[in-house]
Formats: sequence, C-alpha cells, structure tokens
Amino acid sequence: MTAPDGIALSGVCKTFTGRGRVVEALRDVTLSCPQGSFTAIIGPSGCGKSTAMRIAMGLEAPDAGTVRIAGRAPLDAARAGLTGIAFQDAALLPWRSVRRNVEVPLEVLRRPLAASADHVGHLIDLVGLTGFENALPGELSGGMRQRVAIARALVTHPQVLFMDEPFGALDQILRRQMNLELQRIWAESGSTALLVTHGIDEAVFLADSVVIMHAGPGRIVERIDIPFERPRQPHLFSDPLFHETCDRIAEALHGG
Amino acid sequence: MAAEPIAPLRGLRNLAILLAIWEVVGRLDLVAGGALPGITEILLRLWEDRGDYPRHVWATLAASGAGFVIGNFVAVAAGVLFALSPVALRLFRGVNIAVFALPPIAIAPILVLTLSGMAPRIVLAALGVYFVTMTATVIGLSQADSRATDLIRAYGGNRRDELRLVLFRGAMPSILAGLRVAAPNAVLGAILAEFGGGGRWGLGAYLLGSLGRGEPDRLWGIGLVATLIAGLSYGAFALLSRRVAGATRAVTLNSAIPDVSVQAGGPALRVALAGGTIALPFVLWWAFIRLTGVPDLIAKTPWGVVDYLFLAHTAETAQARLFAALAETLPITVLGMFAGLGFAFALAVSSRLAPRAIEAFMPVALITQTMPLVALTPLLVLILGRGPSLTLWVTISVTFFPAFVTLAQGLALVPRSAEDLPRAYGAGRWREIGMVTIPASLPYLFAATRLTVPRALLGVMIAEWLATGRGLGNLLNQSRGYLDYGMIWTVAAVSVLLSVVFYQAVVIVERRVLRRMGMATAE
Ligand SMILES: Nc1ncnc2c1ncn2[C@@H]1O[C@H](COP(=O)(O)OP(=O)(O)OP(=O)(O)O)[C@@H](O)[C@H]1O
Ligand SMILES: [Mg+2]
Repeated sequence: MTAPDGIALSGVCKTFTGRGRVVEALRDVTLSCPQGSFTAIIGPSGCGKSTAMRIAMGLEAPDAGTVRIAGRAPLDAARAGLTGIAFQDAALLPWRSVRRNVEVPLEVLRRPLAASADHVGHLIDLVGLTGFENALPGELSGGMRQRVAIARALVTHPQVLFMDEPFGALDQILRRQMNLELQRIWAESGSTALLVTHGIDEAVFLADSVVIMHAGPGRIVERIDIPFERPRQPHLFSDPLFHETCDRIAEALHGG
Repeated sequence: MAAEPIAPLRGLRNLAILLAIWEVVGRLDLVAGGALPGITEILLRLWEDRGDYPRHVWATLAASGAGFVIGNFVAVAAGVLFALSPVALRLFRGVNIAVFALPPIAIAPILVLTLSGMAPRIVLAALGVYFVTMTATVIGLSQADSRATDLIRAYGGNRRDELRLVLFRGAMPSILAGLRVAAPNAVLGAILAEFGGGGRWGLGAYLLGSLGRGEPDRLWGIGLVATLIAGLSYGAFALLSRRVAGATRAVTLNSAIPDVSVQAGGPALRVALAGGTIALPFVLWWAFIRLTGVPDLIAKTPWGVVDYLFLAHTAETAQARLFAALAETLPITVLGMFAGLGFAFALAVSSRLAPRAIEAFMPVALITQTMPLVALTPLLVLILGRGPSLTLWVTISVTFFPAFVTLAQGLALVPRSAEDLPRAYGAGRWREIGMVTIPASLPYLFAATRLTVPRALLGVMIAEWLATGRGLGNLLNQSRGYLDYGMIWTVAAVSVLLSVVFYQAVVIVERRVLRRMGMATAE
C-alpha cells in the first residue's frame, strides 16, 4: 500500500451567499499533492486560492466534494498536530511577544512548552529574529511579523504545511532568502507543502508542481510540473529555462 | 497661533474662567435669590459639615462598591454566555432591554420592600453596571480578530481555546472601557436606593434630610461630593484601562442591545425564542418574589399587579389614579426629551461651524455625564422652584448632555474628506452641512435617542418625587407613605414597561430609516 496523499481535494465546490450577492468561489476543484511534494497555487486576486486553502485546513466546509489531509479529515489532522499554517496576513496576537506567538500552536495542542523551548529559539533564529524574542508585534515591521508567522507555522514539526502568501510583505532580497530557507526546511522535514503566491518566480523556484487558477467561477485551469533538480540554487533565478517556464505560467494565467 | 495654549491647558483655562464666574455670580446672589452660592461658600460649608461626611460617604461607597463588583461579575459571565450562545442572547433580549430601560427610581421602593439592610442599594448599583459591562463584554468578544481565531481553529482548537487564548484578552480594552462608564452608574444606583430606602447613612439619605432645610450651600456641597466620587471612579478606571490596554474609547454608553438573528432551527424555534424573550422578565420577577419569600400582601407577582389593576374591587380607583399620573408624566417626558435632543442636535451640528467654542463646552458636558442625577435635581429645585418648568428643565438637562456627547463624538468620526468634497465644488458651509453633516449624524441621533429614553423618564420621575408632587414619581412616593403596595408595584411595572416600549419604538423607527438610507446602526 502506498502512503496517502499529503493533501487531497476532490470535486470541491464552494459558493458564498452574502447580502444578496452569490459568489461561486470554487467549482469542482480537484487537487492532489503526493506526500513530500511541494505545490504552488497561483491565480488572479479573488479566484478562490485562500478559500481552497481554508477548506483544506478545515476552517470552511465545502458544499460538495471531499478533503483528506494525510489520509484524515482536515480537523482530525489538525488536532493530531500534523499541520502547520501561515496565513496571508500574519495574524499574530498583539498582546503576545514574538516568542509567545510562536508558541500558540503548542498551547492549542496542549503540548508542554518547556520541551520545545530550544526548538522555538532555533526557529526564531532561523527567521532572523534573534534579539526580538520579547518584542510585541506592534513593534515589528510587516516583514518581521510575517517571519514570526513562518516560525509559528514550523513549530509543530508539521507533516503538511499550508502557506497563504507568507512572503507577501517582504522585500525582494529577503524574499529570495526566505525562499531558500523554506526550501531547506521543507526538504529536511519531508513535509507536504502547499503554497499560495502571486510571485511566478517564487512558485517556479520552490514548487514541484504549479497549479494555475482562474476566477469566475474559481477553478483550476492548468497544472505545470517543474522539472528542476533539487536542491535548487540561487543562480536558477537567472537560468533561461527558468524564465521560459515562468513565461509559460504567465501565459496560462492570462490566457483562456 | 503661538498665543493659543494646547488643548488640555485650554480646558483648564476654561474651567478656571467658569469657576471665577460661578464665584462672582454666587457671591452676588444673582441666581434665584442665593440658590447658587459661590464656590468658596460651598467649600466653607463642606468644611463646617466635615464631621457628617465620612459616614455618609462611606455608606455610599460600600454599597456602590459591592454593587459594582457583583454587577460586573454577573455582567461579564452573562456577556461570555451571550457571546458563545446566540440562542441565550436572543432569549435574554427582553431582560437586557428591561435592565437597560428601567428607571432605577421606580424599582428602588420595591427593592426596599423585598430586601433588607444594604441589599437594595447593592442591587440597584449592580443593576446600574450590569448593562454597560455586559454589552461591552459581548461587543469585545464578538469583535475579536477573526484571523486570530482562525489560527486557533486551524490547529484544532475548540471554542474554549479561542476564549482562553484570543477572545478574552482581546475583549479586555472593551470591557475596561465598559467598567469606566459603569463606575459612576454604580454610585448613582446606590444613591437612588438610599433615597427611596429611608436608611440613616449615605449621601442619598443626607441629601434627602437636607432638602427641606433651605440651605443651598449644603445641598451643593453634597452634590459636589457625589459628583466627585462618581468622577473619581470614572477617572480611576480610565487610568487603569489606559495602563492595561493602552486604549481610549468613547465615554458614552452603548445603547444598542446586542442582538443576533438565529437562523438555524426554523420558524418554530424562532417563535419559541420570541415568546421566551417576552416571558423571561416576568418569570424572573416571579422567581425573585418566590425566592425572597416576602408575603403576597407586600410583594406582588406579575399576576398580583394584574389583579390589583383590573380585578380587585379597588381596581377602578387604582386605574383612575394611575392614568391621572400618566397624563401628567408622559407629555412632559416626551416634550423634555425632544427639546433636549433638539438642542443637542442643533449644537452638535453647529459645532462643525465653531469647533473652538464647542471644545470649551465639552468638559462641562462630560462632567454632567458622571454627575449623579439625583444630586442635580435638588440643585435645580433651588434655582427653578417646584413648578412644572422644573420637571421640564430636569428632563432637558438629563437628555441634552448625553445626547450632545454622543452626537458630537459621532460627528467627529465623519471623515474630513467627505466634507471637503462639496466644498471642493464650491458649496458654502451651510450647504455642506445639509449635504454631509446632517445625514451623517442621523445614526448618532438615533443612538442618542435610545440612550435618552430611559433617562428622560428617570429625570421626570425624580423631579416629581422630590419636588413637584405630580405624576408617576409622586404617585410612587405617596404610595410608599400609604403602604399601598399594589400601587408601588404597579407604578414600577408600568414605568419599566413604558420605557421598554419607548425604546423598542425608537429601535423600529431607526431600523426603517437607516435601512432606507443604507446606513448602519451606530453603537
Ligand atoms: N466569507 C466569505 N463570504 C463571502 N464571500 C467570500 C468569503 N470568502 C471569500 N469570498 C469570496 O470568494 C472569492 C474568493 O476569495 P479568496 O479569498 O479565496 O480569493 P484569493 O484567490 O485568495 O484572493 P487574493 O489573491 O486576493 O487573496 C472572492 O470573490 C471573495 O469575495
Ligand atoms: Mg487570498
């Protein structure tokens, strides 16, 4: 028997009805991410990327279709501590220090904090926030807050990692740096990663497979496999083949 | 520019000017033949009476403190329950409206009948804080950052985890802001109960005892001390919330009863909830009497009141007296309320024309917010005498100030850019006010009206009780003297009911109008 897919959505539909407006956010979305794979979703604003991810995390129930995370129902997987989550906006608790924000998932899962103290310190170091452990979110820049959110997503040693535009507020240089770091962390952990992004180059650099969505109704129109071998190095960003792939994705985004 | 001091200093300067004018006017006995003594005369009298004050102040502080703690405890617990359970919120809507709208003076006598010792004062103080804190808790909890609660849920956390990690801490600023407004309310509640309770100690008792003696300086002294206590309690919590939450919020009371629409469960559940909402206050009333174990002769159940008013052999005279009192009370309440609201509206709108003048006036308006109403009335009696004009002025003043503060603060939220637009097209000041300021202030006008409905009735009843000897307030006071228990309960029930009906009427009109204009209810 083979291991179940890390993330499996099949035939997922979701329609929002709010104040007389009906939005078909997702129509028949089927997506499977094999265990240990890295998948990126790209698409215009409002095409349902976040909705698809919220359904995968169990925050939203689909109108139709099924969702399995590591072979389980989404919330069961969450309760078992299999998932790690970084939202579109950092969603830090403003009254908690950086360190205590990173610890939130541990508290929800009722894991002993003392046992993870070293790991938490290591993660804060990894995202380059050493020295800011006791700072409050209000005292950090937008980019620093997002890095806290990334550290928080990794704190449970997740098998499945959900990231919704986690690098949105970072500058280009830091973003590249974080991309490299993310690739390393992901490769080490062997987790299944799903990344929503607006950056084509970021998607191509990180993912094994890029999924392209269109809006109205939100749906998957194409899935492009990225063949570059790992670990991918920074010079890949200037490879002509890399640019060719980016162009193909840009075309798929605009066309159809 | 350079000569104008910054805002707080300007406030101080204005206060100093005000005090100086007061002193001169008082010393020269310019108001109603000496009804307004000079500041120094009042202070001197305070010093002479210094032996009396500690026990009175202590009694009031003890009752309001206990009521504050108990009321807030219940309020926060209820707020958490309501935030977690829409069904409970729906079910208790009737009770919540009743607690908000009830004129404390109307139920002070029935508390005195059914409870003993300090209990009536504590209960009335607790009732005064319950609504404010409960609303603040519900709003604070339900305004939690949905991204933060999503995070907790995404890690498999349940509602309790959300409460523990996010909601409660997030609601803290709102709850503290509620406590701030609630603190003076507790003082007012305690004084009102002292007033109707006939105890020996407490500022309310002191006030009542000094009322007939024609000593303006003493009455003013008591009024000042009561205001000072209320103001200090407000200030203490303002400081605390600044410290803890770093947040400053409006001083006005939120008068929107929190509500939800319960969608699940179909029409049967909805009808059951609506019925329950109406029935629950009466059930609680009934349960309260059963629990206190006071004999039926003294404590009337809802049915007892119906019996007294419609079935007993004295029903006809009871009805006649009640209707006569209502005929005196209602017109003046409505008139005073509309006059107060009208003044407030006119002043708030024109404050956009002369912001400076209004800014000078704002501290006065804020002080009167914390000034216990009961302390104000005897002072107005001194100045205005005991005729109907007193009632009218009491009503206007109790509606005007809170309405003005609500409106002025609401209008301050209108974005400047919205007003700049007509001006950019060459509209004059008045045109601009007509196009932007007045429509934008409508939600706040309604909020102010909701706020002032119960206060207007309370003001009228206090004036009637203390001074004019007419209307519902007087009927209540008289019935105490005649031991006419049925009438005491009837007046209490009718005035609460009236207040609730007024309030609901305003809410319905508000919904209609604002929906047509595509605006949201102001909180
Ligand atoms: N709770 C909701 N209620 C009503 N409509 C919603 C809700 N959540 C999302 N939508 C609608 O569903 C559609 C998809 O939203 P979604 O947030 O998934 O977009 P997105 O692809 O993540 O966009 P972006 O790139 O801007 O983040 C949008 O049209 C949005 O208006
Ligand atoms: Mg999104």
